[in-house]
Amino acid sequence: MEPLNLAVIVKLEPDFSEGNVSYKPDGTLNRNETKNTLGPHSGIAAKAAFYAKVKYDAKISVCSMGPPLAELALEQAQQTCDADVLHLYSDRIFAGADTLATAETLRTGITDKMEGKMDIVFSGHRASDGETGQTGPQTAWKLGFTFLGNVISYDVNLEKRTVVAKCLLTLNGVPNVVEEIEAPLPVFISIDPSYKSNYTTVSQRIAFEKYQKEAYERAKNYKQYLKVYNIDELGVDKTLVGLAGSPTIVYQVERIPKGKATRQAEVLDGSNPEHIRKAVAKMKEALSAMVIK
Amino acid sequence: MSEDWRCSGCDSCKTECEAYSHVYVIMEHIDGKILPVSLEMLGEARRLFDDYNARYSSNEKVVAVILGNDIKDFSKELIEYGADIVVCADHPELKDLRNTIHTKVVSQIALDKEIASKIEPNYAKQFKKPRYIFFAADSIGRHLSSTVLVELESGLASDINKLVIKDLNVTHQIKTDGKATDFKKTLEMYRPDFSGFLWTTILCLNNTTPAIKREYYPQGCSIIPGVFEPIKPDPKRSGEIIFYEPKIEKNDLKVKVLSHKIIKSEVDFEIRKAVVSFGRGIKDAPDENIKLVTELAKQLDAEIGISLPISKKLLPASQSISSTYMIPARVIGTSGSKISPMLYVAVGISGAMQHIAGMQDSEFVVAINPDENSPIKNECDIFINGRMEDVIPLLVEELKKQQQVVQAG
Repeated sequence: MEPLNLAVIVKLEPDFSEGNVSYKPDGTLNRNETKNTLGPHSGIAAKAAFYAKVKYDAKISVCSMGPPLAELALEQAQQTCDADVLHLYSDRIFAGADTLATAETLRTGITDKMEGKMDIVFSGHRASDGETGQTGPQTAWKLGFTFLGNVISYDVNLEKRTVVAKCLLTLNGVPNVVEEIEAPLPVFISIDPSYKSNYTTVSQRIAFEKYQKEAYERAKNYKQYLKVYNIDELGVDKTLVGLAGSPTIVYQVERIPKGKATRQAEVLDGSNPEHIRKAVAKMKEALSAMVIK
Repeated sequence: MSEDWRCSGCDSCKTECEAYSHVYVIMEHIDGKILPVSLEMLGEARRLFDDYNARYSSNEKVVAVILGNDIKDFSKELIEYGADIVVCADHPELKDLRNTIHTKVVSQIALDKEIASKIEPNYAKQFKKPRYIFFAADSIGRHLSSTVLVELESGLASDINKLVIKDLNVTHQIKTDGKATDFKKTLEMYRPDFSGFLWTTILCLNNTTPAIKREYYPQGCSIIPGVFEPIKPDPKRSGEIIFYEPKIEKNDLKVKVLSHKIIKSEVDFEIRKAVVSFGRGIKDAPDENIKLVTELAKQLDAEIGISLPISKKLLPASQSISSTYMIPARVIGTSGSKISPMLYVAVGISGAMQHIAGMQDSEFVVAINPDENSPIKNECDIFINGRMEDVIPLLVEELKKQQQVVQAG
């Protein structure tokens, strides 16, 4: 049986966690003052890949398109999934790419620069800072892989070379649905935020600890595993990447106008017992009102 | 007309521009029900195109595209809700949602000249692709839109909550080689950013620079559910139904949906009269403050909701608190549930637009917030000025007291 060959695509993002994030007085992100980190959804994708390492002894390559700084995301991803190979596709020409152009860069890296054919490629559900989950499925389609989205758990049948994945569909106006989908390899899996790895056997737990230790050691020397490719080294079609390969542009950014006040608020002082009594009385009244909708 | 004719977006052409025409709106349905977002998208497409056809003296259509098995009955409803044309791909293998097959069939329909000639014979000769294409920004449409737009080699903007069609003059260093260029009938796609305070307008534009000249149609977007109003259904509206026989490749049938289970959520906003929600205001002591919120909710017999940033689990909280309360199922807003309880209490929520959209239909709204300038003040009936740490214990105490009075009485 051939070992599984996996790739994970990750992204460096602003760190929105308390203490690291900085907002301007108007409530928008202060990018200069905000630290960067491996995107949380990318982190979950790395965790999902690690599951295959523990369970199936898979080989993992992690790649990212971004500025030189994005090494940090690769280092953190390696610490999570014990990656064997790290790729950074970095060139000024890539800057400003929309998701279609980004997908072309990632596709080229995965197809041409990674060793062997991929069995599964993982991505996060979405980025936290704008990109809305298109890069994964767009890369999948360019790779020609079956795309499985919103995956909350998965298992691989190494003999049949198939994946069975559980996918969570969240839809407005109807209850959620979980579907179990079977697909032949290769597949592209976009990981749902509620994904969990379940290590059920003793041998899995032992493997988990072994690889976790290895991951920690490797990440300390992550540069040893890292290859950085510029546009020429990657050999990608220059008209299909960066701004030239992006159908969409950001035309303008504006503050969302405040809606007109829809209600006239009565302002109460939270430290005044009389006001608190009034608030409670009003709340009770609201709950007991007969409302005909 | 030569085969490689390209619309340059210039003034001189009239009928030629119809190489790209109509808006195709991709419908979603599950378990025998059309999803509300589909009708909302049709409503917005209808409004945009009534205005568009009047402004440009054209006769372009709102085309609803629906895929599935045994779905013919939906067509009439879609016409009542604003579609001029329903393209219906009814096939047993389309019963399940499989991204590869659905992507290919939607793309086939988008490129099919025969369908185009049935939609509007006058534009059919020049037809290449739809001008615009709309999807829902949900678990189905987000991914389907992504893969379809790769197949159609065009641009996509996700999670849109405002659409405008305009003639624009744009200068772009790469796309237009730095030259001011006219782009007619361009779809301005507005996307609220993660904070809910900024709007980014995204355009899908042709490259006019000679070295990278390329046409990007359809201009695609996915639309946030709950944003647009459906039109009032009109049983007298007339429209045409076009049946399309999809071409399905054998190899794609190897992907199988083994099971399909409807999940009952542990969170149910519908059965409670009251909802208490919390936001980033809990940040000083997440665990303790969430406990305070749960006490208040208990007194009011309320379900607990959260604002979107909370679901991103960026605040340090214990595992049990985090996995019970900081979950997407509790999010109120355009990225979560739209609710209308009799009482809504917003604790430490500043009131980003995307949150307001989820709670503004509540009957009575109370906000607890130390900042009188937060936007939530405009959306509430009572604004209790103070820190939640101080205010909630007083409210809980008072609620208990009044409860005792009722029981004693």
